[in-house]
Amino acid sequence: MNQAEVSKLVSKLRMNIKPEHRRLKNLKGPEGRIDKLRKTVTGLIKFERIELNINRGDEARQYAERLISEAIRHGDCHKPTMDMANFWLLEKQLVHKLFKVLVPRFENSTVSYTKMIKAPKAQNTEHTNKIVLELRGNPYPDLIVKQPNNRLWIQNVLLDAAKYDYRQSKISEIAANIGKDTQLSSSSLTANNKGGTQKEES
Amino acid sequence: MFPNSLKLLWGALQKSRFDNAACNIRGASRQPRFRPPYWYVPKERVWTDDYLTKENKQFLEEVIKDKLEAQTALEKKALTSPILNDVKKNVTWTPQTKRVGLIARKIGNYPLWCKDGKKVSTTLLQVVDNHVIKYIPPEEYKPMIKSNVKWVEKQKYGCILVGAENIDPSVVTKDYCGIFDSVGMLPKRHLCRFVVSPESALPNGTPLYATHFRVGDCIDIRSKTMDRGFQGVMKRWGFKGMPASHGVTKTHRRPGNIGSGGEKARVWPGTKMPGHMGNRWRTLRGVKILRIDTKYNVIWTLGVAIPGETGAMCYLFDTVLPLKRNKTAPPFPTQPFMNDVPKEYFEDTIHPFDEPTISYYEEI
Amino acid sequence: MAVTLRKSTELFTVAKWLTRRDCRTLSSLPEKAKLASLEVTEKAETSRRRPKKVNPLLENRHAYPEFLPDPNPKWRNSLREKLERADMLKRRNQIDIPEFYVGSILAVTIADPHSQGKTNRFVGICIERKGCGLRAEFTLRNVVDHQGVEVRYDLYDPTIHKIQVLRVEKRLDDKLFYLRDALPEYSTFSFDMDPEILPEGTPVPINPVKVELKPKPWLERWERQELQGISNIEQYLTKKDKVRRELRKTPWEKYDLMKQYRKTIPIEEQTDIWSEVNSQLQQLQLARKKSTRKRTFSAPKTQLG
Repeated sequence: MNQAEVSKLVSKLRMNIKPEHRRLKNLKGPEGRIDKLRKTVTGLIKFERIELNINRGDEARQYAERLISEAIRHGDCHKPTMDMANFWLLEKQLVHKLFKVLVPRFENSTVSYTKMIKAPKAQNTEHTNKIVLELRGNPYPDLIVKQPNNRLWIQNVLLDAAKYDYRQSKISEIAANIGKDTQLSSSSLTANNKGGTQKEES
Repeated sequence: MFPNSLKLLWGALQKSRFDNAACNIRGASRQPRFRPPYWYVPKERVWTDDYLTKENKQFLEEVIKDKLEAQTALEKKALTSPILNDVKKNVTWTPQTKRVGLIARKIGNYPLWCKDGKKVSTTLLQVVDNHVIKYIPPEEYKPMIKSNVKWVEKQKYGCILVGAENIDPSVVTKDYCGIFDSVGMLPKRHLCRFVVSPESALPNGTPLYATHFRVGDCIDIRSKTMDRGFQGVMKRWGFKGMPASHGVTKTHRRPGNIGSGGEKARVWPGTKMPGHMGNRWRTLRGVKILRIDTKYNVIWTLGVAIPGETGAMCYLFDTVLPLKRNKTAPPFPTQPFMNDVPKEYFEDTIHPFDEPTISYYEEI
Repeated sequence: MAVTLRKSTELFTVAKWLTRRDCRTLSSLPEKAKLASLEVTEKAETSRRRPKKVNPLLENRHAYPEFLPDPNPKWRNSLREKLERADMLKRRNQIDIPEFYVGSILAVTIADPHSQGKTNRFVGICIERKGCGLRAEFTLRNVVDHQGVEVRYDLYDPTIHKIQVLRVEKRLDDKLFYLRDALPEYSTFSFDMDPEILPEGTPVPINPVKVELKPKPWLERWERQELQGISNIEQYLTKKDKVRRELRKTPWEKYDLMKQYRKTIPIEEQTDIWSEVNSQLQQLQLARKKSTRKRTFSAPKTQLG
């Protein structure tokens, strides 16, 4: 049982984090892993949308989110944060981009700053899972297209019919019991519910 | 149809394809894959985004709400039933009767202190939303494992299905939901069969609480052990290995000899070797209950060796161990809901934190 | 690869930054460009970005570090942590567990069935504090009859009668295990030491004392641990020690953001924990202050002429 660190404060990351870090094979060991991630984070901040393998991408995403949250918390003039940004971003103009562009963009955000989308699997080549890592609010068109016109799709058509039938039966029950003093019996309600579920699942 | 030789050639060519080669992980480090039995019906449905309209989503929530109301009505009916409330009218407890158990989740460990100052490690088990789903009487109950003993008159046992932890119905399959729908309840995440004697039958929808057990009782806990993956012979079987130095060449954690030669000149089946360790059903017997919290339905048990990691589900039963069995009648068939119940029960030897500091006094 | 290819002078980078100040202005999408222009006007109004204010509740983490749970996600469960905290507060209602740090000098009285008077008192300097929740422990070190003695106590042990802080201070390091290899005078504290009470409201003083180590052999490689509290470590190091120390250094570790994150409880969770527990802790602190005030004003000293 370890005592939690109290010297530094961190903001919560708004994404799923595995309990242990990935090692990311390379010759120099832990130092090489950090170097690899530095390059990826620099690329993400620079291009705002990159395509890469899932393991490296997920690790880099965590580091990028942490960097942005530190920049938001401490701001421009905090020396350790500037030092951290200077270490992680290999191109120095990106440090300015981080503090002047990304911090105001994400300051009041309640969701994660990056988005990870699974890319289509390449055919007839290596079986590596590719992902697209992008910063929210990037200038490119969206990758995931939302479906606004799904009213006429079969599941919604069937559900609309089931909803109508269910509510009709409920209304008829209430109408039948209006004159009576007895309360609605639970057994009649469950029978209607069963009828409702059969339709909704079909 | 291809002739046999061409089939073999085709198979060989398939294997040599470089995209297949990438999948060839070495046998030892591959995760074990188990095929489910023929009667298995999947519980969780393949998750896809339904693209439902807002109104339809609201309609589904309405249906679930109505079902929940029906379930609470069923619960109330069960709680007011004669089985639970007529004291000692029809149901009598003997040390041989089996009563229902509970499904609990292991939520962690922390220490408690005895009144003589000794520190004991305890495990916390939370009983989450347990409800009796169904009682199957002995005539209809067909257990999976049948014993071949015919000449002894067997006591006929029934079965109670207990469910724990409410789950969103849209996540599970229709077949799974159907098990609960037939009795008028919403689906539960975990189901367990408890073999019981017919006297401990309970009506459908009875809620089960942590007070079903009493402080000081001993229970058996059955759950799946922590998955340790592929482990060597020293960790898995407790072999002693070989010395680290003194001229020992390349053999420090190996099993050594695996057979005797001689008559049956082969390696016997069941020889202890490296392999997959953990993720097995194990029952820990005779675990003592030290403390019960009635508000959150949490049970504190002595010891930390309960199988499973934090967050694993465990099945709790009354002990079968003869010396630790219940001598006095426990709440039978189960403890009904009571309004004015003390917040916590402590065992006599445990020091509650409310009480003042422990001091020792001179023996007169 | 783009990084290595590009070699530009400082002026060029500044010029580039000035021209591409907001990449969204160059965006082909009209909405994004509009947003960018709006942002520029807003930025002109607020010149400097002020960092967010830290919640004062979070200061509790220094005084009561055991209330924070173990950060390992495999063992975390909100209900168990809540029950544990409730038990900790109940124990704190029974006995005053004061605020102390590694480097403070404490006197602990425990109930001991084998000693005369059934209690046992030990005075020592706190060299470590470990564990979280009810498992919280601290170790006191002292030198008694030229023999170094360390005793480890459970903070929430119900047999502890009294924990008295004789001197509240912090040291330059988190753990003082190097006192085991230091000269004995740095670990010797009299059992009859009087409590040194600081005036109310003063911050906890940091004792900048640098300890002298005994010659080697040592229990650990103190030179590799980046300890601030040792004065004469360099004189005992061989050339090989110095070379190996340089080789073993991991300068990238202080920049490893995720390693820090996995060891810490995030601010949002900490705020929940402290808001749950703070009112009771404040009450206990007030009660403690009242008792200390009573002690200082209890008996006026009479002058014997």
